[in-house]
Amino acid sequence: MEHPAHLQHHFSDTNQQYEASKLGMWVFLLTEILMFGGLFCAYVIFRAWYPEMFINAHKMLNVNMGALNTVVLITSSLTMALAIHSIQTGKKKLTTNYLIATVLLAGVFLVVKYFEYSHKIHLGQLPGEFYSYGGVDANNPHIFFSLYFMMTGLHGIHVVGGIIMIVWLIIQTNKGRFSAEYYSPVENVGLFWHLVDLIWIFLFPLFYLIG
Amino acid sequence: MSTHTHHIIPIRTYLTIFVLLLALTFVTVFVAKIDLGSMNIIVAMLVAGIKASLVALFFMHLLYDDTVNLSVFLTAILFLAVFIIFTLLDTERRADIDPTKAKQIEKKSAIIYDKIVSEKHSGH
Repeated sequence: MEHPAHLQHHFSDTNQQYEASKLGMWVFLLTEILMFGGLFCAYVIFRAWYPEMFINAHKMLNVNMGALNTVVLITSSLTMALAIHSIQTGKKKLTTNYLIATVLLAGVFLVVKYFEYSHKIHLGQLPGEFYSYGGVDANNPHIFFSLYFMMTGLHGIHVVGGIIMIVWLIIQTNKGRFSAEYYSPVENVGLFWHLVDLIWIFLFPLFYLIG
Repeated sequence: MSTHTHHIIPIRTYLTIFVLLLALTFVTVFVAKIDLGSMNIIVAMLVAGIKASLVALFFMHLLYDDTVNLSVFLTAILFLAVFIIFTLLDTERRADIDPTKAKQIEKKSAIIYDKIVSEKHSGH
């Protein structure tokens, strides 16, 4: 039987290898969801305890910047999906281009986040004991900003991690490692990137759009 | 293991989902500007849930994959729900058993609005 170069010996065929790597990625994403889950749980508890404070504190966030970043991340999810489509159909040059577009959009996301963070740091809207801003008309506004920085910060670290992995994909694609027959790493990094988008889809209304 | 070739989703499907996601983003920002009282959070989470489902089913291929991947994803959501609901059963009902345990955060780490304002006025 013919033995493709990318097939590892402990798998019986390429399809089994493909399905196994994808299932492994999904189990990793499960642990990611549960890690963010701890923070989402903290958010729910504190919002149930301080509903008025959340409404007053969220007015300090810029909805336009949050909405812009939502559009940027959704667009980057599309370019990632199109990169996978391109490698599935064997178009390597197009794959590289879509991956570069994804990295650039991720960069735009981080630049917008940088402006938001530096504005809050300047005003003293910081987590926990570092909080020193007097303009929120409510008790315990530092809790809102603790959650804001922890949740968007952990998400931001994932964006940086995603960029590193996509840059690695670009290098490997240029070396010709991936083809229409073997593209599991492209698809699995894609899954990670879509999860980053998926978490932001919840962070955006929870922080920027409190009624 | 079957030897079927992997399903390739047409570009047209990706573009449709992309347009739907943008439209739903617009809807959620627009609805947030209208005061619906406690319905605001329900509408916002409903729209986010629909957007997340579109991403998971189409961009993440769960609709076309072996259902084992979907079951892993749903297991994560299920246990997240168990985690949050059971924690709320504690934090929301503590006072029923012992009112002294109902205090929400320690006094030393609280920030009281009136105190900040008076400190500002006294030139602190």
